[in-house]
This record gives sequence, structure tokens and C-alpha cells, in this order.
Amino acid sequence: MSIFQSLDITASALTAQRLRMDVISSNMANVDTTHARLVNGQWEPYRRKFVVMEPRQEGFSTYLQAAMNSRSSVGNGVKVTKIMEDQTPFKLVYDPSHPDADPNGYVRLPNVDPLKEMVDLMSATRSYEANVTVFNATKGMLMKALEIGK
Amino acid sequence: MSLFSRTFMMLEQGLDYASLREKVIANNIANVDTPNYKAKEVRFRAELDRALQPLEAKRTNPKHLPFTRPMTNKFLVTSRTNVVYNHNGNNVDIDQEMSYLAENQIYYNALVEQLNGKFTTLKTVIKGGK
Repeated sequence: MSIFQSLDITASALTAQRLRMDVISSNMANVDTTHARLVNGQWEPYRRKFVVMEPRQEGFSTYLQAAMNSRSSVGNGVKVTKIMEDQTPFKLVYDPSHPDADPNGYVRLPNVDPLKEMVDLMSATRSYEANVTVFNATKGMLMKALEIGK
Repeated sequence: MSLFSRTFMMLEQGLDYASLREKVIANNIANVDTPNYKAKEVRFRAELDRALQPLEAKRTNPKHLPFTRPMTNKFLVTSRTNVVYNHNGNNVDIDQEMSYLAENQIYYNALVEQLNGKFTTLKTVIKGGK
């Protein structure tokens, strides 16, 4: 158990939250993208992406030691396991002048809801800030530890 | 008579506790958006054992193994499972964690100050008050 473990834990959270913000940026940037992927010879609009997070697992030895009661496990931060695509249906908008309109004049637009993205962005920003506070607190404690015996 | 009194050991234990708690709080805040994550907390094992009243088995033969195993660490990390705040199964209360963080930081600093005070006292004694 190193003294820098808590900095490592916080760093993993900062990375994860930043990736979340990157994904949100990508969603917002592609809010009107109709040519995102070629599926069976047809262009599909962009699908909203989101991250899946889970606690970073410790190795087998940690679990064994926890089971043997000699050391309890603290946890090892957080990680993003995958970036999933939202499978909700695309928005249908009537716009016959659009080059991607179907014979009935409807265009399929990405299933990105800017409002939802903004709320997600706020959440990610706040979490990021909270983790920066934790980082500074830990740093302060480590610096204080160096003063022992001075 | 030893040079270092028991106070040093107690302060050291306090520092151990504070740094472990710091890790647990950091981990809880890191997982504030993780679905199904349960917040963890640090407990003193001795206190927990006292509360749980360790099970004693009657040993008719000295070769029988006792139920309680020797504990190497004084602290125990447990999950908080009795409360749920979020619909996604996560029960990290960010406000509470942030206040724990501030409290723990002050506690740690106070311990370090105390430890330094003890060292200063020792230094005074060694120098004969000069």
C-alpha cells in the first residue's frame, strides 16, 4: 500500500471524467450528422455514445488477502469499461430539400438530445472538480507528512 | 524506560487511520458516477469486534483451533449498504464525502503538529533546555 495510492485513485477518476466530457463533445459536435456510418450500403446518422464506468478491480492477491482477513481492500479507483451506442430510434424530421431525405421527404437525424448532453456535461464537470479538490487535499497531506520531525 | 513514549505510537496509529481514510474517501469520490458502487468507510476493528462480541468456541482439547484469528491490522474497510441515494444503485453522498475529506485533512494536520510538538519537547530535554 503506497502513499501515492490515493493520488492514483483520484487520477483514474479524472481520466474517466475527462473521457466522459470527450464523448459528450463528440455527441454535441455530431448533433446534425446524417452521414456517420455505412450500413448495408446505406448511410446511417450518428448514434449518441455514452461511457460505461465501473470500479477498478484489484488483483487476485488483494481479494485473497481480504478473504484471509489480513488486509481489507480499499478499492482502486474507477475505469471506463466501454463506450456504448444509444440504441434509441433516430429523430424523423420532415425536410424534403435535405439530400438525405427519403422518398416521403423525411430525414433521419441523430438521436442526440442537446439538453441531455448539457446535463451530463454539468455532471461530469462537477465530478471532475470534486476530484481535483480531493487531489489537492491529498497533496496537502503528503506535503504535511514531510514536515514530520522538522 | 524508552525514549519514545506511547504517545508516539498512538499518534502514528492516528496517522495510519487518517491516510487509510483518505484513500477510502478518494475512492468513494472517484466512483461518484459509477452505477451500483457502494460507498466504503473505515472502522476500528477493535471497536467492531467489541460490538459484534466475537464468537468463542469451547475448546476441550488445546489442539483445537480457536475461532478468532490473530488480526494483523487495526482497521477494517466496510461497505455502506443500508442507504441508496441514486436510482442507479450508487450510494455515494458527495456532500458527506467532501465534508469527511475536509475533516480528515484537518485531523491529519493536527496529528502532524502534535507529533512535531512531541519531537520539540524531546529536543528540549536532550539539549537540557538550552
